[in-house]
Amino acid sequence: MKRFDPRTKLALGIMGIAAVLLTRNTFPLAVEMVLLLGGLLTLKMLRPLVRVLKLILPLVGLVFVIALISFAWETALVLALRLFNLFTLSFVFFQALDPEELGDGLRKMGLPYEFSFILTTSMRYVPLIGMRIRLIADAQRSRGIDLRPRLRNVPRFMALLMPLLVQAFILAEQLAMAMESRGFARKGRSFRRGYRIPLHEYGLMFLALCLLATFVIWERG
Amino acid sequence: MIDLTHINYRYDELSTEWVLKDTNLKIGKGEYVLVCGKSGSGKSTLAYLLNGLIPHFLDGELQGRVSVVGKDSRDLTVADLMSLVGLVFQNADAQLFNSTVDKEIGFGLESLGLSAPEIEEKIERTSKALHIEHLLKRSPMTLSGGEKRIVAIASVLSVSPPVMVLDEPLAHLDWEGAKRIREVLLQLHEKGTTLVVIEQRVGALHQDATRCLILEKGEVLFDGSPGDAHPILIHQHLVPRYPARTTGNEHFGTTLLEVQQISHAIEKRPVLKDLSMEVKEGEILAIVGPNGAGKTTLVKHFNGLLHPSRGNVLFMGKGVRRQSPADIASRIGIAFQNPNDQFFKTTVEDELAVGWDLCKKTPAGWLEELRTLFHLHELLSQSPYRLSEGQKKRVSIASVLVMKPRLLVLDEPTVGQDGLFLETLADLLLTLCAKGFTIVIVTHDLDFALATARRWVVVHGGKVVATGPPRELAKDENLLKMGALGNPEWAPADNVHETF
Repeated sequence: MKRFDPRTKLALGIMGIAAVLLTRNTFPLAVEMVLLLGGLLTLKMLRPLVRVLKLILPLVGLVFVIALISFAWETALVLALRLFNLFTLSFVFFQALDPEELGDGLRKMGLPYEFSFILTTSMRYVPLIGMRIRLIADAQRSRGIDLRPRLRNVPRFMALLMPLLVQAFILAEQLAMAMESRGFARKGRSFRRGYRIPLHEYGLMFLALCLLATFVIWERG
Repeated sequence: MIDLTHINYRYDELSTEWVLKDTNLKIGKGEYVLVCGKSGSGKSTLAYLLNGLIPHFLDGELQGRVSVVGKDSRDLTVADLMSLVGLVFQNADAQLFNSTVDKEIGFGLESLGLSAPEIEEKIERTSKALHIEHLLKRSPMTLSGGEKRIVAIASVLSVSPPVMVLDEPLAHLDWEGAKRIREVLLQLHEKGTTLVVIEQRVGALHQDATRCLILEKGEVLFDGSPGDAHPILIHQHLVPRYPARTTGNEHFGTTLLEVQQISHAIEKRPVLKDLSMEVKEGEILAIVGPNGAGKTTLVKHFNGLLHPSRGNVLFMGKGVRRQSPADIASRIGIAFQNPNDQFFKTTVEDELAVGWDLCKKTPAGWLEELRTLFHLHELLSQSPYRLSEGQKKRVSIASVLVMKPRLLVLDEPTVGQDGLFLETLADLLLTLCAKGFTIVIVTHDLDFALATARRWVVVHGGKVVATGPPRELAKDENLLKMGALGNPEWAPADNVHETF
């Protein structure tokens, strides 16, 4: 699946999400879940999913309990299954499609290069910003500012926010200068990696479309 | 190759201060020019001028003419200039914006519109030349500081510019990283690339350059051979001359902090392994070792920012585990490497007031004494973000000291600082020690550690591999061989007034 053209991955992801969102009954949702887990088993991605599930399942459980208290158990089950399927689909989507491929896919679908590049680069800097938050928190705690998540500490979070904002602006300016210096704005850019959707991927997309139609008809029928 | 004629430049047209003043400079093909100067002397501005960021990207007023390979930079865009002048920025995190090293090296080639086979061939050639083939599929974020610098150089080198400008390529690097960059620069120079290298760590590159340029307040103070530059570098305090050790207690007191066989792992990778050490009351101790040895991870255990998986940390005989770092700050203060991580107030005065307000037990006159000691009176009404790097560091250390902790820990305080500030800092630390503070310096700057500390703890591979008097350890062949220590960048006689 990793070898698929990014447009194929995007199309499959969008159709999968549409199928989950359009499904409103327990049984079709359960079928979707089985299909998803079966697919993951075939692709040998079940083990990494289990690690992510440890974080997701408490949230799914919480939604189920709240819905159970507020509505009927059928609604609670539908909401919990839908959430689980959405998380699983998103997991597969981001495992199979790295941010640069997503950008390339969108560019091939007509999005200007500048926008697709900004999208992928901003994703790349998320871990760096996360690291900066940790460093700022350490520096502030070491000079006596309590940043533990307590109500009385809320005003103190300015000590975290302000340095982060300033550093993000500085980084953005430096990044812009570095990109400019390496020809980001230059006309006539070429691309190292070429993309082509092979016939079997068109077939797969058609199959996915048929499945989506089947679920919609099943739901409405 | 480069011809600057009567250059005046200021970032703000309304400002009365010019960053570069009537600068005239000619750089010939194949020269290796080392550009030195204090913080704010106009070094980085010169770099932006050479690759066209000034006047095309940065606003401001430019007078005079910049000619690169016979072409006026005003007539070209930054993108046009990229194949003539490659600029390697100081901040590698901003320079490396692709997801893998090969994409990073290929980015400039794609900008030039080269075909895919040509791009592949040039990526291969560049990575081979710099011996980074094994890094091609790695994310730049996972690389060490030295590797990041080399990849940043590769990303610019791939388009084969005849001129390369590097802005502080040795910042944050230990001796091994610096040695590698030095070799890469020599290799480029041998192949005929014209090099303009801006660097604070003059000692590391001084002997390789063919020409030295010293800037002072936007003017060229010296332009000549590196050999002739040496006395001026010392006179201008660009090579730090550390104060003589006349203060401080020779006999250390009782144990203030004790680290007992601690271990710590980050993402299952052991960083500290059964490490023990102690800090004596009233001493200046340096924790030295290469980048990645575990030095910062170790000091984060001092005040409970991190907890060991095994072992204990005791401060004055009591474990620190149960207290929060914010509560411990009035006894153990840590100032980390980047002063910008601390600033969130609009003035220096307010920044200092944060710690003062939090600690009720501090003696009444201490704040005033601290302001005098750190020469902060003239800065009080200024924004901390608008200060020079040295001033920022002074405010950052003072804002930790304002709670009057018994133990002050400074994490890599010399990074990115000019020689003049290093002298000031060494002087300040000796004064603080004489006033009874216990100080721990975490550093890979062995010259600074030699000049200030009375005892070294050498950390390598997450373990303490040696403890003892600095001069003995600095000469230890075993430590040098295993890479736990490197040779100082300057001979001690060059930059210490008096041996101790």
